Amino acid sequence: MDGHDRDHRLLAGFLAGDLDPAAARRWDEHLLACERCWRAVREDRAGRHAAQLLRQPAPPGLADRVGFAVEMAARPDARSSRRARPGRAVRWQQLAGGAALAVGLAVTLLLVLLAGGRESGSMPAAVVAVARYAQAVPPPARDQHPHPGGPAAPVEVGRPVTVTAGGQRIVMRTWRLGSIEAVVAVSGQPFPMPAGGQGASGGGMAWSAQLGKLGLYCLNGRTSELVAAPVPAAELAALATRLPPA
Amino acid sequence: MGGDDRAFLEATLPYLDVVWQVARHAAGDGLDPEDLVQETYLRAYAAFGAYRGENTRAWLAAICLNAARSEARRRRRRPWEVPAAALLDALPLARAGGGEAAPDVADVVIAGLDAQAVSRCLALLPEPQRVAIVLVDVAGYTARETAEALGCPRGTVLARVHRGRRRLAQLLADAGVAHGRP
Repeated sequence: MDGHDRDHRLLAGFLAGDLDPAAARRWDEHLLACERCWRAVREDRAGRHAAQLLRQPAPPGLADRVGFAVEMAARPDARSSRRARPGRAVRWQQLAGGAALAVGLAVTLLLVLLAGGRESGSMPAAVVAVARYAQAVPPPARDQHPHPGGPAAPVEVGRPVTVTAGGQRIVMRTWRLGSIEAVVAVSGQPFPMPAGGQGASGGGMAWSAQLGKLGLYCLNGRTSELVAAPVPAAELAALATRLPPA
Repeated sequence: MGGDDRAFLEATLPYLDVVWQVARHAAGDGLDPEDLVQETYLRAYAAFGAYRGENTRAWLAAICLNAARSEARRRRRRPWEVPAAALLDALPLARAGGGEAAPDVADVVIAGLDAQAVSRCLALLPEPQRVAIVLVDVAGYTARETAEALGCPRGTVLARVHRGRRRLAQLLADAGVAHGRP
């Protein structure tokens, strides 16, 4: 280590309050006389002040997203499968963006989704994520928001939650429609149709599925939307039309 | 939610804000910092059973930095790289006037601070200095925690922070003054 390095380290130690009182006093005196070191101290403070400008609180909803992702990872079937890396969604979006320009994409996508695109023996991770989130939504109280004289206007409940599941980035919002709470999941990638699902009206790439009491209705497209609510899947297409557009 | 994931979140979610600070500056172009935070927590959760450390904050920072580097390697791109031209475009115009004498770097920096310009100048620092500044000055880690996260002596952290701060101040001042010259 040369003298220059040693000076740097000593000054850094002085600024961090590491020096013993006698050594610190010697530095104080030195700084009064040495323009070069005094400039170094001022630059250190200016740099620290500048860097501190970059502090920014975490966005609202990030804690929910992390909590949900960890909960998903804690599922026994998730532990055995490889998790998606964060960049995968972006890479897919780039590829999908380019491919969207190609003629025939819709046909290809339709074939993938409705014929060979489903994962055999298991639910697609993105659909599982939405279904589990919807199942975790507590039902509204019966006397809440009565709506005499017509259907209730949708009211958003809570904040949007963003997750990445199966390499797919999904934003989920919860809407209350009278006595029903529906989760609307939006993604830049299509939601694969699960085993047991069936093609539905509402577009060439629509499907619906029933998971116990939970109905799923999906409309895949440039922006894909999956609605999940505790109603028969056959009723969800109509319910989806009452929800605000994604 | 099961017991282990609940215990994990109780132990780690209080540090979400500091992980976010690290992720914002560690995520390279094209990588969403929120995705990096999620990836950090998923990696941490996977390793939580074997974790015996005492400083969870430092542990999370190390995981976040490793995740960012893995992603950068995967993309075959250096993390946090910003072209110099982008810096010049983003820097605020320096104040006009001034005599022959060069203005004090510290005065120029403090007077014309702009978070976007600071961010771009920070991206120009050598990675060890940049990481040390992000952890200490932006995320609020102590030098000891930073040393633990980076696996280097505390004195090295202090030296990197000091050099990085000075270089950051000089970059901001130099580019600002150069822009302001007639």
